[in-house]
Amino acid sequence: MSTVQNKVGTETKPFTFTVERGKISEFVSAIGDSNPLYTDSEFAKEKGYRDVPIPPTFPTVIDMWGGADFETLIALLEVNPLKVLHGEQSYDYKKTICAGDVISAVMKVVDQKEKRGMKLFTLETIYKDDASETVLLATSVVIER
Amino acid sequence: MAQLQPLIKAPITHSQIVRYAGASGDFNPIHTVVPVAKEAGLPDVIAHGMLIMGMAGQAITTWFNHDQIKNFSVRFQKMTFPGEELTVKGFIKEERDDLLICEVEVMNENKERKLAGTFHVSKEEKNA
Repeated sequence: MSTVQNKVGTETKPFTFTVERGKISEFVSAIGDSNPLYTDSEFAKEKGYRDVPIPPTFPTVIDMWGGADFETLIALLEVNPLKVLHGEQSYDYKKTICAGDVISAVMKVVDQKEKRGMKLFTLETIYKDDASETVLLATSVVIER
Repeated sequence: MAQLQPLIKAPITHSQIVRYAGASGDFNPIHTVVPVAKEAGLPDVIAHGMLIMGMAGQAITTWFNHDQIKNFSVRFQKMTFPGEELTVKGFIKEERDDLLICEVEVMNENKERKLAGTFHVSKEEKNA
């Protein structure tokens, strides 16, 4: 029997996050992105958006503040927090998410392998809007070195 | 292969990393607490990979309309420490029917590559 516990199939509890203008604004300010599309809802509406849209990497906020934060992930994968690295991240945008949207998600371990003494976990997250339509897919690779 | 206008970022600071931790909700102390970074064998805290991807995302939505970005994937290659000056570079690799296949990379001032990725841009706008 393998000493390495297989985490494939393990998932977080479903979580819900309300996208707020203030959180988007705080996020782009930390990155140093001054595009008014993310902070000025009138500007965003003139451009045809319902409200300010989320920037491309904002889904990490939905995860971390919504219910799949660092401590939750460490417990889910049973890894050493001092040895964890983010290897890859990928987003597949299906529908634009804007401030005011209520997004529900679940993060699931879909693959696990060992490579050069390191453990690699592939996590997949499916995000749905309040009409249960899939708006976004995310895949990430977490490495324990 | 057409090169896009590079985005030059201000040097990363400890404060920026702390702000990003709060904004993103990623409070892994390896990013914010120097003694924890040292315990992990690092000389200083490291920036969140997602902060670097966020900078690449900033460049992408400067180059193209936000609504036309279909997907965005990156591989993180090197750690980033406070003080490093990053530049985001982009290239249009090929044109396929109604899609532009593009590449993005983030380098420091010594041409050390932090991240390499791809993104696809639709030529048509979708409904927001």
